Amino acid sequence: MLRRVAFAGALALATLFAAPEQAPAQDAIRIASPYQTTTLDPMRSAAAGNIEVYGLLYARLINRDAQDQLQPALAESWEVSDDQRIYTFRLRDAKFSDGSPITAEDVAFSLNRVRTDERSAYPAPLGSVEDIAAKDEKTVVFTLKAPFAPFLSNLDVWNMGVVSKKDVDARGEDKAFTENPVTSGPYMVKEWRPNDRLILTANPNYWREGYPKTANAELLEVSEAKTRLGMVQTGEVDAIRDVPWSEVDPLKTQENVELKLEPSTVIYMVLLNSKREPFSNAKARQAAAHAIDNKAVTQAVTFGYAEPANTTLPGAIDFHDDQHPGISYDPAKAKQLLQESGMGDREVTILIGTSATAEQIAVLMQAQWNAIGLKSKIQKVDGSAWWDLVAKGEYDASPTWWYNETPDPDLAVRWALCGTCGSDSFYTFYTNPKVDELTEQGTAEQDPQKRAEIYKEIQRITTEEVSQIPLYYPPYANAYSKRVQGLRLTPSLQWTLEEATIGG
Amino acid sequence: MQTLSLLVNRLLQLLPVLLGIAIVTFLLLKLTPGDPARLLVGDRASEETLAAVRQEYGLNRPWPVQLGTYFGKLAQGDLGESIRFRKPVSGLILQFLPPTIFLVLYVVSLTVPTTLLLAIAAARNHGGWADQAIRVFGVCGFTLPVFWVAIMLSRLFGVELGWFPVSGYGTGFLEHLHHLFLPALTTSIWLVPVMVQSLRAALLEKSEADFVTAARSKGLPERGVFWRHILPNALLPTLHLLGVMVAYLIGGTIIVEAVYAVPGLGRLMVSSILSRDYSVVQGLTLFFALATVLVTLLVDIATTLIDPRVRL
Amino acid sequence: MSVLAQHGLSARRAVSSWPGTLVLGLLIIGGWLLLAIFAPLAAPFDPNAVDILHILEAPSLTHWFGTDQAGRDVLSRTIFAARVDLFMCVMGVVPPLLIGVTVGLVSGYLGGVADAVLMRIYDVTVAFPFFVLVLAIVGVLGPGLGNFFIALALVGWVTYARLMRAEVLVIKTSEYALAARSLGFGPLTIMLRHVLPNALSPVLVYAMTDAVLVILAGASLGFLGMGAQPPLAEWGVMIADGQSYVVRAWWICFFPGLAAVTLGMGLALTGDGLARLLR
Repeated sequence: MLRRVAFAGALALATLFAAPEQAPAQDAIRIASPYQTTTLDPMRSAAAGNIEVYGLLYARLINRDAQDQLQPALAESWEVSDDQRIYTFRLRDAKFSDGSPITAEDVAFSLNRVRTDERSAYPAPLGSVEDIAAKDEKTVVFTLKAPFAPFLSNLDVWNMGVVSKKDVDARGEDKAFTENPVTSGPYMVKEWRPNDRLILTANPNYWREGYPKTANAELLEVSEAKTRLGMVQTGEVDAIRDVPWSEVDPLKTQENVELKLEPSTVIYMVLLNSKREPFSNAKARQAAAHAIDNKAVTQAVTFGYAEPANTTLPGAIDFHDDQHPGISYDPAKAKQLLQESGMGDREVTILIGTSATAEQIAVLMQAQWNAIGLKSKIQKVDGSAWWDLVAKGEYDASPTWWYNETPDPDLAVRWALCGTCGSDSFYTFYTNPKVDELTEQGTAEQDPQKRAEIYKEIQRITTEEVSQIPLYYPPYANAYSKRVQGLRLTPSLQWTLEEATIGG
Repeated sequence: MQTLSLLVNRLLQLLPVLLGIAIVTFLLLKLTPGDPARLLVGDRASEETLAAVRQEYGLNRPWPVQLGTYFGKLAQGDLGESIRFRKPVSGLILQFLPPTIFLVLYVVSLTVPTTLLLAIAAARNHGGWADQAIRVFGVCGFTLPVFWVAIMLSRLFGVELGWFPVSGYGTGFLEHLHHLFLPALTTSIWLVPVMVQSLRAALLEKSEADFVTAARSKGLPERGVFWRHILPNALLPTLHLLGVMVAYLIGGTIIVEAVYAVPGLGRLMVSSILSRDYSVVQGLTLFFALATVLVTLLVDIATTLIDPRVRL
Repeated sequence: MSVLAQHGLSARRAVSSWPGTLVLGLLIIGGWLLLAIFAPLAAPFDPNAVDILHILEAPSLTHWFGTDQAGRDVLSRTIFAARVDLFMCVMGVVPPLLIGVTVGLVSGYLGGVADAVLMRIYDVTVAFPFFVLVLAIVGVLGPGLGNFFIALALVGWVTYARLMRAEVLVIKTSEYALAARSLGFGPLTIMLRHVLPNALSPVLVYAMTDAVLVILAGASLGFLGMGAQPPLAEWGVMIADGQSYVVRAWWICFFPGLAAVTLGMGLALTGDGLARLLR
């Protein structure tokens, strides 16, 4: 009897694991990221993992190149009307992965979804648009509500990819984006194993002749930083995101791995809740900011690999004010400001998610606030609860980060500093009518020099009023296997996978 | 025949248990702060978008209605759809199941021989240096945090020596063996001491039992007494412990799976909890419950096979 | 049988005849207890004193165990953490033990409906994934060690209940209990006065193992980012946080790890010694 059970067990085992032995997998470029892919629909999500994927699957009208210039992509050329309100794009002859032509109809459909669908995760880049229409098979016309300087730049944002109207109509949204979506970008989906990996293969109809240079690619989700490091060191993957700062130096001496610090539009800062006491009081916010030695914090947290932040906008963004002196580290002044604010007796809650960096910053902050007599306690919750509490304004302070998807500052200002743009200034509930007004002026103005002045003013006001406490501007710390050439992560969080080759 | 009626009986008892678990899980998840819609659409979405997404997934309906819908589907054998991925929960569980099963069996096949060897060596050498050494190493293996052991082993055998991959599952039986070696070893390092302790204690206890004394008094050689009387009788409690551990491992290799990036059930569970993917957490919880009951049942059946005197 | 035979002897045994492992184990635990009680005297620094200019410093004459990622003294944190970890051992073990022993005793001794109901609750609890429960509880009640204990109490009792019930089932039918019943003692008296003391020894032995498991569970939660709230020093969380710096600063996780292993060793030895003493 026992033997029979054992035999049956062995048989079950054998069938379970006798998965057809695949032919040696063709060489592929493998990238490990901590962020997960949850949807392949470019309209539905602004979560980090999905952003990395969209650009690989869906081509946009225009692309930003390595020199930061906008280049024609699906659009061959474009014209702007004299009043800066009508943009007419001429499409090139390109095809979807299923061989059907990419038409003006598809472009209008895709971007109108992003712009008007109530479930659209991030309609802001097209907020200036009044209408998108297909004039003929190959011509798309965008009509703006008013002249909008960053319009072209916004067309390079990750959710501007073109999807097939025909396919979405035929299969329905759910199917069209979960089972082998029809793509317009360099890759199409070979297999999607949710929560594990996305296996890509070249789109034979990609408009760019001779691209992608490497036919196969895999995007793996690996949550642990230590594991990603091990994987790139053993050659199990070719690129990893988010190398912890403490590992940057050790990794530099590795023979087969190259560590790259790539420019980013990320800013680390501390959210201060302007909706409730004590930080509804501007002096209390200023006290909190002057108490923090952000140069020392930057050194301690990033080992000096990041720039200490001087304004409330990311350092790599256009019109960032490099001349601004920043908020000085001045405990005496901070003490005095705290006293003047009358909020000295409040104990504040520093809310953090489960990130080690946030925790380290929180502990350092707590000590520096303690030094000026501002008492605090740290409350650590998981990421989901963090968003819940922050969005509801149930916190006092929270160290975190954000990034901007284009070099143009407009979206950044709307997200983090503008009180009337829908995000409550990144849930700090900071609001200043002057800033809101300047936000609108900044996009109506077409002259770059005048725009620079406007954004300088925004930075000056929000930094002085401490809408948030700027901490530092970190680069992306990514590690690459030396066998791969031409792969990098752009500041807009897009992999240049189509240009990457395996060699050597 | 008796085994069959036992089976039916056990499965009938299972129903209320599963029902209880489903309700408790559902309520716990509802009480937990966090919004799956928010995590789905990302940080830049407006309140209106969130409301639309909640509407789409039925997340804004009163919870008794949601619970009702859930049970309605469950009654038809439908575990529902993942909120995150828009894919059936059952499909996801099947996708993540093989690595976990493989890992658990791997752990068992590493643990059982080692346990037998060490426990017998310790018990026969009671109080001697081998016994002490096994105990000291056991305590170390048992007290070290699993993630720490995992990170160290992966650095040593994976990165430094390059003997084993540090991640993944591979394709094909041999690759699975290779990829899952370090995860299995890591798990065995704490599991073996637990098992050895149990078996050693049982061996020592049985060696003083009446029937063993009786066997000795009949003049049986010590070696024969050990193999024929002491060992078989001492195995039963350890077998039960193994059952408990296997049931635990099916849902409990979370940390090992995280450190070695194994696409197993533990990983699916953690990421689903963190993203508040309610239907997946529900489905997995039920699955783990089912697995626990089945493993216990298997152990009970095995017990009767080893020792016919035991009635279920 | 064997449990019954030795009943009553153990308490009267002189300390001199205690097994060596028990003495050693208790010495280790006692040592940690002393360190915990006199932590402010033993620790050279304030465990939460941040020194932003001296982070990740290697062990030196000033900082014997080095400093961590916030420039805090690892030695002082390790010593102060003993308070938290010993407290965790007690709070993570005693409530589940009390619940489990009660459940096991009642269901084993009374049998019938009580047993059936309690065993169904047992089934549900056993089959319930620990982390779902912990997360939900931490989510509902807010984060912190207290809620970790509640979660432990809600799931940890099952092992005690199982052990207790098994022992009770054996003892219930023993001549000893039968004799008590024939003398006219009520079920409560028999349970508390006769069955409980006899059945307690495996439970106490397991409690020592359980204490180690509690520390480990705390560490695992720390690894998943849900452990003790910062800046509280706790060994598991110290190890979990320190592992990011293991290449650059091995001392951050090594010393708390060593501390956890020695306490674990003390508990395991005590358990082992207790098992011998009570047998």
